[in-house]
Amino acid sequence: MEVRHDWDVAIDGAEPRRVAEEFEEIALAQGVPMGIVFKFQLALDEILTNVVSYAFAGRDAAQAVVRVNARFGAAGVSAVILDNGLPFNPLQDAATPDMELSAEDRQIGGLGIHLTRSFVHSVSYERTDGWNRLSLAQPLQAHTEEETA
Amino acid sequence: MNVEASYSGNIAVASVSGRVDSANAKDFDKALRDIIDRGVTGLVVDCNDLRYMSSAGLRVLLIAIRKTNAAGGGLAMCRVPDHIREVLEVSGFVRLTSIHDSAEAASASFSS
Repeated sequence: MEVRHDWDVAIDGAEPRRVAEEFEEIALAQGVPMGIVFKFQLALDEILTNVVSYAFAGRDAAQAVVRVNARFGAAGVSAVILDNGLPFNPLQDAATPDMELSAEDRQIGGLGIHLTRSFVHSVSYERTDGWNRLSLAQPLQAHTEEETA
Repeated sequence: MNVEASYSGNIAVASVSGRVDSANAKDFDKALRDIIDRGVTGLVVDCNDLRYMSSAGLRVLLIAIRKTNAAGGGLAMCRVPDHIREVLEVSGFVRLTSIHDSAEAASASFSS
């Protein structure tokens, strides 16, 4: 059986944590393994933190809409993050941090997207009709194979 | 999130508990700065009770690593839960700090 949960997210720095913690609670109740729950909620947190921090810079916050649609099923966990803010494709527009650099030379940004791409099996982006649409999907089977490999 | 510190000479052990994310990274940053500003050159971050850390927490750690490196010491971590350790590995932070089984071992890493 598939369980759905949707969030309307305000442009507020406290919102990513609210969504991430509620996601964790629901996912654990659905029997999603703790390892996946942690990585997926971190990805949600990172993406939403970017959206509430930057997507509506210089725009009328009253017109801002940010929505998360999550699905929890036997096959896996998925979430779509929608916002009508500035166009931003994190898969292309975010710099990948150089892991070889010293602490003194490391750039401070880009880590959130890097963690998201590393921790979630499938991350995709599209921009349609003024909406950023970021999709995260984590099959439970893929994770199991990875863990036992 | 809570940070408790104990001091021994110019080494401090900061035990961080709970959740570190973008909502409270500023508090984490202030806590570590306050500790370092007391003349600490070797900072041990004890993660035994740390439940969650996002990239916002990594940024705070990076600043603390730079400050303690500049002071001639450094930052070491200990008792890091596996899932947090994976965050450190994926983000390349294992190259910037050392990870130990105990606060004692982490503290001892500064004198070698």
